[in-house]
Amino acid sequence: MNAWQRRVGATLLLGLACIVLELTFHHIVPDTAYRNMLQLALVNVVIALSLNVINGMAGQFSIGHAGFVGVGAYTAAIVASNIHKSLGERTETFANSFYVMPPAILAAALVAALFGFVVGLPSLRLKGDYLAIVTLGFSEIFRLVIMTSPPGVEKEGIRATIAELGGPQGYSGPDRYGVAQYAGPFWLFGGVIVATIIAWRLKFCGWGRALRALREDEIAASAVGVDPTRYKVTSFVIAAMGAGAAGALWACMRDGNPSVQPDQFSFALSFDAITMVILGGSGSVSGAIFGGLFVTLTVKMIEQLQRLDAIEAFKLAHPDFDLNALRMVIYAVVLMVLMVMRPAGLFGESEITRFRKREPAKP
Amino acid sequence: MSAAPALQLERVSKRFGGLKAVSDVSFTVPERCIFGLIGPNGAGKTTVFNLVTGVYDFEGSIRFYGKSLGGKKASEIARIGVARTFQNIRLFQSMTVMENVLIACENTRKAHLGAALLRSPLFFRDEAEMHKEAMKLLAIFKLDAMADEVSTSLSYGNQRRLEIARAMMLKPKLLLLDEPAAGMNYGEAEGLKEQIRWLRDEFKITVILVEHNMQVVMGVCEDIHVLDHGETIAHGPPAEIKKHPKVLAAYLGEEDEAAAVAEVGA
Repeated sequence: MNAWQRRVGATLLLGLACIVLELTFHHIVPDTAYRNMLQLALVNVVIALSLNVINGMAGQFSIGHAGFVGVGAYTAAIVASNIHKSLGERTETFANSFYVMPPAILAAALVAALFGFVVGLPSLRLKGDYLAIVTLGFSEIFRLVIMTSPPGVEKEGIRATIAELGGPQGYSGPDRYGVAQYAGPFWLFGGVIVATIIAWRLKFCGWGRALRALREDEIAASAVGVDPTRYKVTSFVIAAMGAGAAGALWACMRDGNPSVQPDQFSFALSFDAITMVILGGSGSVSGAIFGGLFVTLTVKMIEQLQRLDAIEAFKLAHPDFDLNALRMVIYAVVLMVLMVMRPAGLFGESEITRFRKREPAKP
Repeated sequence: MSAAPALQLERVSKRFGGLKAVSDVSFTVPERCIFGLIGPNGAGKTTVFNLVTGVYDFEGSIRFYGKSLGGKKASEIARIGVARTFQNIRLFQSMTVMENVLIACENTRKAHLGAALLRSPLFFRDEAEMHKEAMKLLAIFKLDAMADEVSTSLSYGNQRRLEIARAMMLKPKLLLLDEPAAGMNYGEAEGLKEQIRWLRDEFKITVILVEHNMQVVMGVCEDIHVLDHGETIAHGPPAEIKKHPKVLAAYLGEEDEAAAVAEVGA
């Protein structure tokens, strides 16, 4: 078998696996709440993989990743809902998702990339904390502009256009029937696979190598011809595209929230994304995947645990005991223990495949 | 061969706040010359290197084969053929020897990001070619056996050689060496003289040397420019510089001229 046949074979196999998951996922995980949690974990993996390009590989520090996700989510919600409307059918079929999802994801990625370019430009002059503030500013401006533009207040002008996005109530399709939810397991698992392959290839090619050099010593890197401007801005654009695609998957997620709301994209989401990347190990693709799964599942798992009978009984017996607050305490303790034991994150910068190869002991 | 000199500085100045680190420095480096830039500590030698390689902007004019370097970014200057090493070795520390050298051909690769993402045949061919070329260069610098070792695990001398190898991967026409003899003993410095001559002849390049070790400077340079407090105090062939009263004064102070003669004339 030559390389091309192997590649076509692998693509077919993975595609088939995604189709099988699409058809059987609701049998494998019948509980909607759990299914939702797993799907959200997949979206978070894509978010973590994309943030890893800026915070891990490029060594920049962005704390406004939620903004890119939000831009993608709104764009995809609008595109998907309008295509859905023009298709004229009531239910979202798997076959129709092939008309809806590709343009929705593409549009989301492109619009987010545009924002990534604009936000990436200051990264040339700003470093560390200062750049972090710019990215945070961007994501908060995006959220607040939508928040403070409720529909029906202004009749014309730019604010009226923004108000079309639904203001604080969120966007729920052109006729307010809800956002078309075409992103089933096929698109979610497929999204994770594609994002992983892209992230992996970015890391292990000359481009990733140059980013690493730039991160270690910018003066030496430019002295051998690596242009910091080009690499830094490109890393922002690529990360924003990934975040936009993740936003698209989130907005159109099956069984998810039928409206896209500005508060979904607050600082809390950016913070979670940073936690995922750092926990897994900055710069590691495997680490970002692990972090995305771990953070989502831990938070949600603790949430689900509260539904257990024993816990419910405990709650009834001690009504003044705030279990909800305890949830975040448990989460924080888990994080602290992990960071103390592995300060560079679970994987450091290495990958799951490289564990076997040990450094030779030094004399 | 082009008629324009490899490097030409005309009334070049650089201020850091109130301090004039380099003032009105002019000199010309002919093609294929080994040129020395010397002076006491704080004379502005490394600053001149930083101006030529685009780390800082400057007043005046710097021309590389007639092309002005004013306003160009460091990465552009590296791409048109000016390579350098650093006073305190600046390798990419977490990377292997091979990776360090590969970074320098990043800008000449044919396969761009799209090809890398698709892992197209072009990408693999490009990568293989780059590896082959890098290996050839490493072999020339006797580093090929350590290609997969992390650069910080190399000995000091090998790290210096690796930095030069990385610079040569750019296929430069002009190489700037910032104190290559730092930390070398007498024998190693003798070897370095040979290596610098050999570099110039093998790769057909021009070399500019900032160096404190007079044994190396006087032994290998064909033309020497002396700076003190950012200003030119002398220029000429080694034999002339050795006896130049201003140079002797700058190096050890006027009263101690005899000792200065001993130092510079070593």
